[in-house]
Amino acid sequence: MPTDPPPDRLITGYLKDEVRVLNAQIPRKRKSLSELLEEEHPHVICNDGNEHYFRKKELESLSQMVNDEERSSLLLPIIMEITPDRAEIIIRTKGEAEAKIFSTILSMSVICKQNKITIYRPQLGVIRNALKTTTQYVFSP
Amino acid sequence: MAAKVEVTRPTKIELARLKRRHKLATRIQKIVKDRLSILIMEFLQTVKECASVKESLLAEFAEAYKALTITTGYHGYVPLEKELLVSEMTVKVSAGTRNVAGVRMPLFEIEKVDPVKSKMKNAGDTSSILDHSTELSQKCLETIIQLAELENSLELLGAEINKVKRINNALEHIVIPGLDVTIKYLTMKFEERDREEIARLKHVKRLIEQREAYAY
Repeated sequence: MPTDPPPDRLITGYLKDEVRVLNAQIPRKRKSLSELLEEEHPHVICNDGNEHYFRKKELESLSQMVNDEERSSLLLPIIMEITPDRAEIIIRTKGEAEAKIFSTILSMSVICKQNKITIYRPQLGVIRNALKTTTQYVFSP
Repeated sequence: MAAKVEVTRPTKIELARLKRRHKLATRIQKIVKDRLSILIMEFLQTVKECASVKESLLAEFAEAYKALTITTGYHGYVPLEKELLVSEMTVKVSAGTRNVAGVRMPLFEIEKVDPVKSKMKNAGDTSSILDHSTELSQKCLETIIQLAELENSLELLGAEINKVKRINNALEHIVIPGLDVTIKYLTMKFEERDREEIARLKHVKRLIEQREAYAY
């Protein structure tokens, strides 16, 4: 006769699911802004196989913030790394485009050091408000 | 509620395993807490946006109804109804999903309304007042779609927040305290065992010494 698993095993099962769900939104492959602007329905495929769509208005506003060269180098969605025990949020970049975008949104200078941009939690709300579909969270264990 | 001690085998290997699990549970709890704070932030932002969109929708509706009333007065109820029955408008809404911290939320985007197809059938019987009223109604439709997206997102975020809160509470009040108590129990048990061992060794040593003293 099947019986309920013991409570501890049940919780372990939930936790396993929780960790899997945490980073399910990471895209398998990011696309450049210029590539996305050409698509009719701009989207990327996530780790869990689902599609993540971008709002066209957001892409257009981003394209106005950067130049032609940066448009093809800027990979979307921009990934924001959240690490426990740390107040800062790290954005790993390849060029200066992300720093340019964030400084425009935050209306302050943002420095890119060793391919990393550091922002703080109160600034996260402002960025997410402006870039709802073009930014993604990643929870670093 | 007092945490229960659950030990299957009181061994050092079990203690090491429990310590590893405790470390993992604490780490996961931190991540879950982070996720919860992110979800709450997103929820509050969506609430704010939802309120402002609702407000603007009410204003747009008021304006559209006002325009419709003027149009009805100008054309008359029956001719206007006849005109509206034969008129058509193509609205294309592209629907997709976006993922926010593991929550799949809807994304609706209204595509440009085709101005040729959305025109009235009989242009001769219509007026600029009716066109204005139609424009206002189209604007309302866009806001309704935006509101639908936000309301649905709000529901999904709320459900996920509840779920994550439960997991966080389970970790904080059941899993981690339970592991703490079990680790403490095992540590004390091993310490007690060590003390007993030392006492036993001392007793044996004393016995040996006594035996050696009698032998001489």
